[in-house]
Amino acid sequence: MSTCPPYAPFFGFAGVASSMIFSTVGAAYGTSKAGIGIAGLGSFKPELIMRSLIPVVMSGIIAVYGLVVSVLISGGVKANDYTLAAGFIHLGAGLACGMTGVSAGYAIGLVGDSCVRAFVHESRVFVTMVLVLIFAEVLGLYGLIVALIMNTKALETKC
Amino acid sequence: MSDQAAVGKVTSQTAQKGVLAKLIIFSLSLGIVPIALYFVTEKYVWDGNSSYAAITAVFAANVVLFAYIIVSLLDDREMMQSAEEKKLQFSNRRKVE
Repeated sequence: MSTCPPYAPFFGFAGVASSMIFSTVGAAYGTSKAGIGIAGLGSFKPELIMRSLIPVVMSGIIAVYGLVVSVLISGGVKANDYTLAAGFIHLGAGLACGMTGVSAGYAIGLVGDSCVRAFVHESRVFVTMVLVLIFAEVLGLYGLIVALIMNTKALETKC
Repeated sequence: MSDQAAVGKVTSQTAQKGVLAKLIIFSLSLGIVPIALYFVTEKYVWDGNSSYAAITAVFAANVVLFAYIIVSLLDDREMMQSAEEKKLQFSNRRKVE
């Protein structure tokens, strides 16, 4: 049983794919749910649209986190001399970033939708919305930090 | 009723100047700037250390986000000031009539 089997890149590339796929799922949910609220707000007060697009921008940042981790991990996955341990580490890193991206996007979507609808009636909701959205986005950032730490472990493995 | 509708139109028109251009610029920069910075800093600044390049990319994405928040706040503040000025002009005109 060698430490560098030929099926090891399967796990590495599964990590690359899952980072991008799941963070995009989270960002899509956040964008669409907040977009529904913005469409509702836009029919009453079109001048508030620029401020109410902040949840959509934050969902975009969740997708950027997934993209950065994908690019980072795919720089380390090799076709030859790639240990199985590094494959597992990269899979874990991709899943960490991706699933935290799902949770962050879910939170951003729900909070963005409700706060943008409340913004029509009460303009002081804006500061609350930005604060809660920042807390929701930091969830995705934690996943990215863990993915970065895991990726540095994978650089040290040798056949 | 008609002067309320006219004020509403004035407010909506002041909101639309340059909003589309700003949104397009921010969308493109959010997509392009972090990943471009990742590759550039990995090669030239951090000597191949990809973790530091990833941290730089994340930092750049957050900078774009804060720039968007600040621009939207300033935009709304200046738009509300100009809308109030136009409302004052309008009500002065009504008083003269």
